[in-house]
Amino acid sequence: MTLARDLSLASAADAAQVLRIDKVSKRFGTFTVLDDCSIDVSEGEIVTLLGSSGCGKTTLLRCIAGFLTPEKGAILIDGRNTIPVPVNRRPVGVVFQSYALFPHLTVEGNVAYGLKMHGVPRREIARRVADALASVSLRGFETRYPSQLSGGQQQRVAIARVLVLEPRVLLLDEPFNALDAKLRGTMQVELRELIKRLGMTAIFVTHDQEEALTLSDRIAVMRGGRIEQVAPPDEIFDRPATAYVADFIGLSNFIPAEVRDGKVTLPDGQTLATEAQGPVRVMIRPHNLRAIPQGPGPWQGQVRFQRNVGPLIEYTITAGQSDMHVVALRRDRIRPWGEGDAVSLEVIDPEFCKVYPEA
Amino acid sequence: MRLPDRLAIGDLLGTATIVALGLFALFLLVAPSVIVLIISFDTRAFVSFPPQGFTFDWYLRVFEQRVLVEAMLNSLQVGITVTLLCIILGVPTALVCVRGQFRGTTALSIFVLIPHMVPGIVLGVAVLFAAAAIGVSPSIGLQSISITVFVLAVMVRTLMSRLQRMDPALEEAAANLGASPFQTLRTVTFPLLMPAILAGAVFTFIEGFDNISVAIFTHGFRDRPLPVELLALVQTTNTPLVAAVSGVQIVLAIVALILVASSIGLDGVND
Repeated sequence: MTLARDLSLASAADAAQVLRIDKVSKRFGTFTVLDDCSIDVSEGEIVTLLGSSGCGKTTLLRCIAGFLTPEKGAILIDGRNTIPVPVNRRPVGVVFQSYALFPHLTVEGNVAYGLKMHGVPRREIARRVADALASVSLRGFETRYPSQLSGGQQQRVAIARVLVLEPRVLLLDEPFNALDAKLRGTMQVELRELIKRLGMTAIFVTHDQEEALTLSDRIAVMRGGRIEQVAPPDEIFDRPATAYVADFIGLSNFIPAEVRDGKVTLPDGQTLATEAQGPVRVMIRPHNLRAIPQGPGPWQGQVRFQRNVGPLIEYTITAGQSDMHVVALRRDRIRPWGEGDAVSLEVIDPEFCKVYPEA
Repeated sequence: MRLPDRLAIGDLLGTATIVALGLFALFLLVAPSVIVLIISFDTRAFVSFPPQGFTFDWYLRVFEQRVLVEAMLNSLQVGITVTLLCIILGVPTALVCVRGQFRGTTALSIFVLIPHMVPGIVLGVAVLFAAAAIGVSPSIGLQSISITVFVLAVMVRTLMSRLQRMDPALEEAAANLGASPFQTLRTVTFPLLMPAILAGAVFTFIEGFDNISVAIFTHGFRDRPLPVELLALVQTTNTPLVAAVSGVQIVLAIVALILVASSIGLDGVND
């Protein structure tokens, strides 16, 4: 009875899993670009591969698309290993960084291209192209050429061109790079809503953490060909698994400390329980620090720099040897600290700090 | 905003110098052709400048002389053969040189250039000796092949520069959308390469039609191409007939250039 229920649970979990990247490694010559990468992606999930340039995120995307073949590991789509499947037979749709729209074909020609290559009958092509263009709100643009479209419209054609083939996985390689900064914010939200509405499973590649935090259900932070952490955006931000992730996502303060009796003493005298041992680094987010009028507290500092960022005030406060980043919410009745002011620092919630072994 | 007067004068002088140099260069480029065209309409029976009178007679005579018409047809045949051979050989070569994933693609692209760097006369003599050694006598075929070797680089370079500027993601996108490598070539690479193929075709055709340095050693004994015939004509006569033959060639070149420029734009030719 229990066994049967376990089995049905397992198969339900399998069914929901669309893409499985299993211990994939890839080298260029003697240089290892991907080192034992594993991620499971469920149906309808948006996962972002996030990392600085050279971390392997684009290489992993190109392996999934089939433009590159990994030396080790497997890439499974719906439980089938796709490594031996040629590029043009894989159920994945790629939205390229440059969009790669065919300049000699109209919008309609671009969207119909894949259907033609798959030998879909003409009448069905017309219907499906119309549907795809409607889903990205591009009806009426059929006869335009890519050069006659704005960046945002080109991006939507690129998406319609792959959506029309109903791929199992959508791969997007830095799709907002070609757009100007103002447009990006709204396009990110729109794209997420579109993918969710269509129930697509998608993998994004980006180096922009804000983009990753906006778009993703889960973020995979990559570094040097390895995946450091895969987790939902909140968790990545609040509980970074490694010091690298903490440093990469958002602004962080790192303070050297020593573990004694399973506890770390913070500079303001509060303590924090930890399982780590020996010399460690404590990470404190800038919004978990408070600058208060100088008092008898052990953590004294001086405001070196302050700037207003809309609703927030950012301070750089020199305390002892190091500069601490502090962020405070801007409020009417509280006068912000000025440069040169002497202050005391305190941690708002010690539980919110993270302890990492000294690198 | 008011600029100091001295700067304005300096600017004016600079602009004037550039315009003057430009006009001089244009004069050097165009003058010979214009002078030949003017002479070809002269009524007198000897070459002299400036001409006196105006007549189409010399052009009519060009087409009355069987030798010249045959030479023209021979050159036309060579031009077309060279163009076709350059397309057939050039497209795969350029694709391999730019998209090839193996060592030696750079060596190959340089190798294709070598015959174009060698003086035409040297190439012509070399082909003549080599052909004689294997028992092949000069002919329209031999001439076409040797000029093809000579100008293939032009076609390959034109195609390569176009391919290098083509987003490689376009071909990847085609594959991702389900196109086989051959379908990708047919539906994406070729259509995008077409302007460069046309531009290359104009240059290779003109070279095939016009070339004398290679042709003089490799043309068939009875199948003289137009430039060789023209050279013979200059040596024996001094009538504007020679100018009229040149005029025909100049017009042909201009027409070819206009045809291509109007179909693909001058940017395509510049590739």
